[in-house]
Amino acid sequence: MHDQISRRPVVDKTSLSFRGTLALVAGKGAARATRLIGRGGGTAITGMVARKIDPQILDELVRIPGVPVIAITGSNGKTTTARFTAALLRGEGITVCHNSAGANLLQGVTSLAVSYSNMRGRLPDGVLVAEVDEGALPQVAPETLPRALLVTSLFRDQLDRFGEIYAVRDAIESVAAGLPKDAALVVNADDPMVATLAEERVGRRITFGLAIKHSTDQISRAADTIRCPRCQADLKYKHVYLSHMGDYGCASCGFTRPRLDVAVTALEVTGLDRTRCTIKTPTGNITMEIPQSGVHIAYDAAGAIAMLVGLGIPLEHAAESLASVGPAFGRLEKIEADDGKIVILAFAKNPTSYNTTLRALATEGEPRQLLIAASNTLVDGEDFGWLWDVDFETMAPKVERVVVSGTRADELANRLHYAGVPSDRIKVIEDRPAALTEAFSLVLPGGRLVVLSGYTPLIELRNEMRRRGWTGRYWAV
Amino acid sequence: MTDQKTPESVPHKPRPRIVAARPLPTDYQSDPVDPFPVVAAARADKAEKQAVPVAPPDATEIAPDPVAAHVPQAPVPAIHSAQSSHSRDHAPLRIAHLYPSLLNVAGDGGNLIAIQRRAQWRGIPVEVVAVEKGETPDFRRFDIVLFHGGQDVEMAVAAADLALKTPSLREAAAEGVVIFAVCAGLQLLGHRYISNSGEEMVGAGILDLETRGGSQRFMQHAACEVTIDGVTETVVGFENHSGLTELGPGCEAFGRVIAGAGNNGKDGLEGAHSGNVFATYLHGPCLPKNPWLTDQLIRIAVGRVEGLRPSKVVLAPLNDELEKRAHEMALAKAMANRGRRTALEPARLVRVQKG
Repeated sequence: MHDQISRRPVVDKTSLSFRGTLALVAGKGAARATRLIGRGGGTAITGMVARKIDPQILDELVRIPGVPVIAITGSNGKTTTARFTAALLRGEGITVCHNSAGANLLQGVTSLAVSYSNMRGRLPDGVLVAEVDEGALPQVAPETLPRALLVTSLFRDQLDRFGEIYAVRDAIESVAAGLPKDAALVVNADDPMVATLAEERVGRRITFGLAIKHSTDQISRAADTIRCPRCQADLKYKHVYLSHMGDYGCASCGFTRPRLDVAVTALEVTGLDRTRCTIKTPTGNITMEIPQSGVHIAYDAAGAIAMLVGLGIPLEHAAESLASVGPAFGRLEKIEADDGKIVILAFAKNPTSYNTTLRALATEGEPRQLLIAASNTLVDGEDFGWLWDVDFETMAPKVERVVVSGTRADELANRLHYAGVPSDRIKVIEDRPAALTEAFSLVLPGGRLVVLSGYTPLIELRNEMRRRGWTGRYWAV
Repeated sequence: MTDQKTPESVPHKPRPRIVAARPLPTDYQSDPVDPFPVVAAARADKAEKQAVPVAPPDATEIAPDPVAAHVPQAPVPAIHSAQSSHSRDHAPLRIAHLYPSLLNVAGDGGNLIAIQRRAQWRGIPVEVVAVEKGETPDFRRFDIVLFHGGQDVEMAVAAADLALKTPSLREAAAEGVVIFAVCAGLQLLGHRYISNSGEEMVGAGILDLETRGGSQRFMQHAACEVTIDGVTETVVGFENHSGLTELGPGCEAFGRVIAGAGNNGKDGLEGAHSGNVFATYLHGPCLPKNPWLTDQLIRIAVGRVEGLRPSKVVLAPLNDELEKRAHEMALAKAMANRGRRTALEPARLVRVQKG
């Protein structure tokens, strides 16, 4: 086993406490029970139940035995980057435990540890790849002591949870700056807020980003303008790659994008399911073809590769490993439904993911039949004002029919109305299965239904699709 | 304002004049192509040049009679330009969007979309000019000024620039230009904002109010009762602020709190109001789910453009089914949460000590 990812037990302890064992049994049992009664994947309940019984369970399973943890955080791109990282590690012959279903709060990370450990509380020899919510990182980090931390990007997401993006950045900064010397920090250099994280840090700090000669996006909305993290003047971009990510510089204080350790030097995106890119690493170039589409996929791949560089693991099978990673749960997932109709399932939770998704969809023609859902939940947030920062205006004239659903269907309906979708083309059906039935019935055989949804309604809609036999179950942990 | 009103002050016809009641020339509901694309705002410097042929250089020169105003333009074909919508029956509403690249959190840009759409749906053309840092237009040339919320860092940048704009903004407020401010906008229209660490940001001093940084953040659905020209309605939105605002005797509250924290969580007052300046803490964004309030702003502004008393302006009714639904839902959420301090358990974030 490689040094960076070998175990370093805090105390040599072979058995779990009685309380811990109880928590383990209850947590695993809870997951099985929820799955049996078909109420979902039980991905968060495991951790919730286990922590209720033993609040130290994560500590006992992970920190004390010194299980190497790789934490991946940021506002967008966590799930895909974590999946790429897991695939790359597996490709190099390393055992990986990973919360692939995206339960990423403290309970979710606990679920990950509980479900992969055996009854004696021992996790398989290998690494834990944990996707961690950017708000939950300060809670997760002390109990897991990450061996490596990757920060994907910071967009304004869920201001009702965090108050301000700067508070989120400060929280990540405190974790990043407190990483032990031999841990690796991997940051997206193209995002000015992320590029400046823990700059003073002693220890490995790997940067990744795009180094292609043309812009792939533009600062289209004033809201995307980003100020220099040093002097607050507006940043100027040589190239804009995605929203506020790009090759930037500050005219007033001379701050520029840091040098890239891992860089995407060529990029070609085709259709909804193909991205070809060449990624330059300190040990050579890797050219790969990934069965997913978008500039953000190149970022996620570069991030995952930078993570392996940070861990010092040689990349021998990277291209093959990534060639088989299809879209994650609801990331432009293509589902073959009844009557030859296609459902495209897209997870969207903030203006950036909405705009990225809408732009990707538009490459195959603006969507005409849609189902859009948003709900108030702890993970999805309470304030949906950000819907007004989404560029629905471009799509609006082409919309033939849109069904809106979820507990915030009202806000969505009003937003689409003001984006220019005539009100008689908008139908409000809060109930998710009923909304799916209605939206699906309006699509002609062989046609395409685009489903855009926040996290919770997406799970509900996908479960409904499974009930109808359109798709298999989707949850590991 | 008083200059424009002179010809109207001896009215022969006391009955209200209906403005913007003309049916739309295009069947908007069935037209697949959006006839009113919401256009991106022009920059102030650029728009100054473009606006000259359309808008008189000085607000006092606006023809008081809307008929006289549009007669010379009659031979000009319907305009589909990026700056105004198709109709030439009304003088355009000119909107200044203050600091769009600084103050733009929580979808407050939706307020602009709401005003644009609701004006355009009634055939009132709209011109939007983005006024950024370093730009100093004559604010009297506008009919509505939007001053939105922002995060602390951006607010400080805007505050540092505001002094340049303050004289003109004050003149505009005195002349009756409608100013609608949210959150940071509200705080910066006051005398000053004093942060927790004692740093002071100087405001425009247009509203007699002062804000101090608070120790907790109010993040919740909120509702208040607002009275404009004798009509009282409920206004709903989402609060997200930690500043505590106290009103002075020189201005009144924008509304009375029904649910939520309002200006400071104590006195039951929400926002501030003086003349045609309206300021609130409500995000949401506020205007799209409060069509009544949006229409009040448009009505007052149209009155000023057309040289009519606002009470003489009647806007054509719109189908507000979706707006009302959004309003009711937000109200229900605010009421469900009434009396509680915050709607959500704020994420436990660790603040790094600066310096």
